[in-house]
Amino acid sequence: MTGDTMVSQGKLLVVDELHKSFGSLEVIKGVSFDMDFKERLVLMGPSGSGKSTLVRCINWIEPPSAGRITFDGKLVESGKYDIRRLREDIGMVFQQFNVFPHLTALQNVALGPIAVKKVARKTAETEAMELLAKVGLSHRADHKPAQMSGGEQQRVAIARALAMHPKLMLFDEPTSSIDVELIHEVLDVMVKLADEGMTMIVVTHEIGFAKEVADRVIFMDQGLIIESGSPSEVFEHPQQERTQSFLSKVLLA
Amino acid sequence: MFKWSIIFENLPFLLAGAWTTLSLTVVSMIFATVAGLLVGLLNMFGGRVIGAITRVYIEAVRGTPALLLILIVYYALPRIGLNLPQFPAAAVSLAVCYAAYIAEVFRSAVESIPKGQSEAAFSLGMSQAQTLRHVILPQTFRRVLPPLANEFAALIKDTSLVAFISMEDLLFKAKIIGARTYNVFSPYIGAAIIYLIMTTPVMQWSRNLEKKVE
Repeated sequence: MTGDTMVSQGKLLVVDELHKSFGSLEVIKGVSFDMDFKERLVLMGPSGSGKSTLVRCINWIEPPSAGRITFDGKLVESGKYDIRRLREDIGMVFQQFNVFPHLTALQNVALGPIAVKKVARKTAETEAMELLAKVGLSHRADHKPAQMSGGEQQRVAIARALAMHPKLMLFDEPTSSIDVELIHEVLDVMVKLADEGMTMIVVTHEIGFAKEVADRVIFMDQGLIIESGSPSEVFEHPQQERTQSFLSKVLLA
Repeated sequence: MFKWSIIFENLPFLLAGAWTTLSLTVVSMIFATVAGLLVGLLNMFGGRVIGAITRVYIEAVRGTPALLLILIVYYALPRIGLNLPQFPAAAVSLAVCYAAYIAEVFRSAVESIPKGQSEAAFSLGMSQAQTLRHVILPQTFRRVLPPLANEFAALIKDTSLVAFISMEDLLFKAKIIGARTYNVFSPYIGAAIIYLIMTTPVMQWSRNLEKKVE
C-alpha cells in the first residue's frame, strides 16, 4: 500500500468540523478531534448529546452533513475514498448487538470475510473459531443468537467485527442493553482488546471501564465537545458545570 | 333441485376442470413469485426512476380488476399482433396481476427486518446486494411464506375468471354441466366443494406457518 510509512507517523483518525443534521434538527454542531494509533477514547455525555451519531458518522452509517473525516491518511468522501473500504477497516459494535439471527455464532463471525474479502469458507471458519475462543464462546459456535444471552450475543458481535481485521473499533453503548450481571463479560473482552493495542472509540457510561482503559475521555453535550482530557482530569476535576452534573448523576446510578 | 347423483356422474368432467384450475394456478404462481420478488426489489433498491415505474405498475394492477387484464391480454393484444393461446394468455395475465401483490408482500417483509441488520452488514463493508443476499433475504424467507400461501389460495379462486375467455376450468365445467342437465344447483355446489378442498389446506398451512414465525 502506498503512503503507509508516511501515514504511520500521523494520526489514524482526524475529524474536522463535523456537522450532522436530521431534517432541520442539527445533532452535531461542529466537532473536531483526532486520534493516534492505539489510542483508546471514551465518549460520554447525556442522551441526545450526539455521541452515538458522531460514532455512526465515522464509518458513514450516518453520512455527515458537513465536515471532513480523514482515516488512515485518506480523506473520506463519497466517491473518493470508497466508503465500503473504509467500513472494512472500521469495526462497529452496536447497542442492540445486531447479530444475524438466521446464522450460527460461527457463521456470524465468518460471513464478513467470506462475503466481503472473498476468503475461502474453511479459512474464514477456522479464524472465526479462534475469534470465538478469544471472546470465550467456543462452546457456542453452533448456536443461533436466539439461544444466547445478551452478553453472549454482544461478544459474537465483537468477534464478527474483529474478523475483518479493523484498524479501529467503534463501540456504541455496547453494554446498555445487557443485563447488569452480564456486563462484565463484555467489558472484560473490551479490556483485553485494549491491552492488545486495538485503537478504539467507546461510547459508554461505564466510568470504571473509562478509568481503567481510556487514554482520553471526551465529554459531549448538545452536539458539541465541551470537555476533553485524561480520565483523572475529566472525572476528578471536571471544568464544566454540565460535566459535573452529568457525572454526579452517573456516579449515583 | 340439488342432486348428489349429478355431481357424481359428472365427477371426472369436474375433476378435469379442477386439474386445469390447479395447473394454471401453479404455473401463474411460479411466474408471479419470481416476477414479484424482482419487482419488489427493484421498487425498493432500483433508484428513483425504476422505483417510480415499478410503483406505477403495482398501483395500476392493484387498482384494476384482474378480469380486465385477462380480457386485454386475450382479446386486445392479438389486435397488435401478440397472439397468445388460452392457457399462456391466462397464465401471463394472472402472473402479471399477482406479481404486483407479491411485490408488496416482499416489500413489507424486507421492511419488517430491523434497520440494525443492514447497518451491521454495511459496517462490515458489505454492498447493498451482498447485504440483501446474505442478511436480509434469508430472514424474509420465513416471514414471506404465510402471506405467499394466502396469495396462492386467492389465486386458486381468481383463476375462475378465465371462464370469461372460455377456458374450461372448474367453474366453466360446472357451467357446462348445468346447461346440459338443466340443473345449475348441483354442479355449482360440486364445484364449490372442490374449490374448498383445494383452498382450505393451503390456508390452514398458512395459518400454521404464521404461528411458527411468531
